[in-house]
Amino acid sequence: MSNEKLREFIKTAMSKGLIGAVMAPTPTETSYTHALITSKRDVDKLVPIAPVMQWNGADMLRRITRLGDAPRKTLAILRPCEARTFKELVKFNQIKPDNIIVLVYDCPGTVHVRDYAKKKIELETLLDEMQSGKISDSVREACKICEYPVPVENVGDVGYGLFGTDDPVFFPLSEKGSEFLSALGITPGERDAEKWVRIHRENRAKWLENERITGGRKGIEDFLSSCLNCHNCKNMCPICFCKECFFEDRTIFEYNPDKYYDWADDKEGIRLPTDKVLFHLGRLVHMGTSCIGCGLCQQACPVDIPLYRLFGIVAHDLQKVFNYTPGITDDPPPVMDFREDELHEFEGLREGGE
Amino acid sequence: MNKEEKQEPVIVGFFCNWCTSAAADLAGTSRLHYPSSIRPIRVMCSSTVDPVYLLRALQEGADATILGGCHPGDCHYISGNFKARRRVAIVKTVLKSLGFDDTRVRLEWISASEGQKFAQVMNEYTDYIKRRGQSEFKYIDSLGGDSNEQ
Ligand code: SF4
Ligand code: SF4
Ligand code: SF4
Ligand code: FES
Repeated sequence: MSNEKLREFIKTAMSKGLIGAVMAPTPTETSYTHALITSKRDVDKLVPIAPVMQWNGADMLRRITRLGDAPRKTLAILRPCEARTFKELVKFNQIKPDNIIVLVYDCPGTVHVRDYAKKKIELETLLDEMQSGKISDSVREACKICEYPVPVENVGDVGYGLFGTDDPVFFPLSEKGSEFLSALGITPGERDAEKWVRIHRENRAKWLENERITGGRKGIEDFLSSCLNCHNCKNMCPICFCKECFFEDRTIFEYNPDKYYDWADDKEGIRLPTDKVLFHLGRLVHMGTSCIGCGLCQQACPVDIPLYRLFGIVAHDLQKVFNYTPGITDDPPPVMDFREDELHEFEGLREGGE
Repeated sequence: MNKEEKQEPVIVGFFCNWCTSAAADLAGTSRLHYPSSIRPIRVMCSSTVDPVYLLRALQEGADATILGGCHPGDCHYISGNFKARRRVAIVKTVLKSLGFDDTRVRLEWISASEGQKFAQVMNEYTDYIKRRGQSEFKYIDSLGGDSNEQ
């Protein structure tokens, strides 16, 4: 029903010439992928709200707008985390937003792609659980502790409220969205999703407290011990958009043969491949201030390392230092910005509590 | 394990060409003593150091790293040192978050005329790091180093 109403919304917008294309999920044999459609006749191929998030939709918009504004007015239907990624990537000059309208909905969470491929859990089940005010056991860890599982003002343009209402409602999130809705002749509706947000944040608070990786070297080495160094986590991360990743630069990370032996002498034996922990900590140093918490790194891990516990919790600490919430705050990302008078506690030598 | 009893620590210094590197030279010509533990690397600005290199130095065996830049307002590239300060804040926060000793990464503003300050900071930091003992980050991802002793 929630999808049916969205398809009608899309068709009307297309008939009225308000949009020339839509990006939203479409089902595949064992999953869902994002699709771009440009004709009304293809709208029924879309399942705008899917039970799986295989990729981050904002990453797809980055590809589409690589050379400039989207060539046609495009409606993008995004989950709240994807919409936050969208906003973050706009700030990083990775997405040109002008010709894009973003619609964001109350999110029931997503099932891990691998779980879904084994046993389909349909959207209706997730929505029913959401309506009963319960976070589904079937959704990914990142979804259970999502800080913003609903549309947020000025993150995207149109909100689509599902929680606590039998009949979904549309409401504006931005000026652009407000104009769009009135051009469609839609009167904004209301719903109260406060509870949905609250129960996620309660979960998140516990998670931050219980799942922290501590213990320095042993803690991190143990946590990453089965890591294959495949870089899937980085490849799926929408914030890791660098064309050439530092950690894949051969001039830095391929060494002369002698070097390995010298290291083995000095370090009482080395692990191969080298620099596995450094990759993860270095990645955190590069992008942790802008991690939006989609958890796709964890979903991408072939050996099921709960990687979001590392990224999400360190990112939480980093974002606190800069008083920055990626995808929400309007300021530029911390790595693109500075203040002249700040962070003095990081200058010089300050001995910690030890 | 060969403990090299209380040996001099190794501290890798990334020093801006326009200030801290010049201060090191001045300390030298003024015959101010600073310890051989400091291994200086001259960089064109404190902002040219990817913070991953600070971790890299610690991984490769440095007991500590120190990034030396121009005083706020004096960077030759206007704002490089402010960006460097953000990066140091990030590295220290990541280290601390995971239970590592974040005092092994240090940021200092030392101008070209502050040979005295340079010598003093380096002497104090060396003593401090010596007292801290071996860094847990040293030789991370290898079979040696501290956490493999148990
Ligand atoms: S690090 Fe993980 S959770 Fe954070 S933005 Fe990247 S993929 Fe998403
Ligand atoms: S790890 Fe760093 S260099 Fe590599 S893609 Fe991510 S941000 Fe870019
Ligand atoms: S996806 Fe998993 S195995 Fe691959 S590099 Fe990331 S943590 Fe390691
Ligand atoms: S030139 Fe010295 S810190 Fe930038």
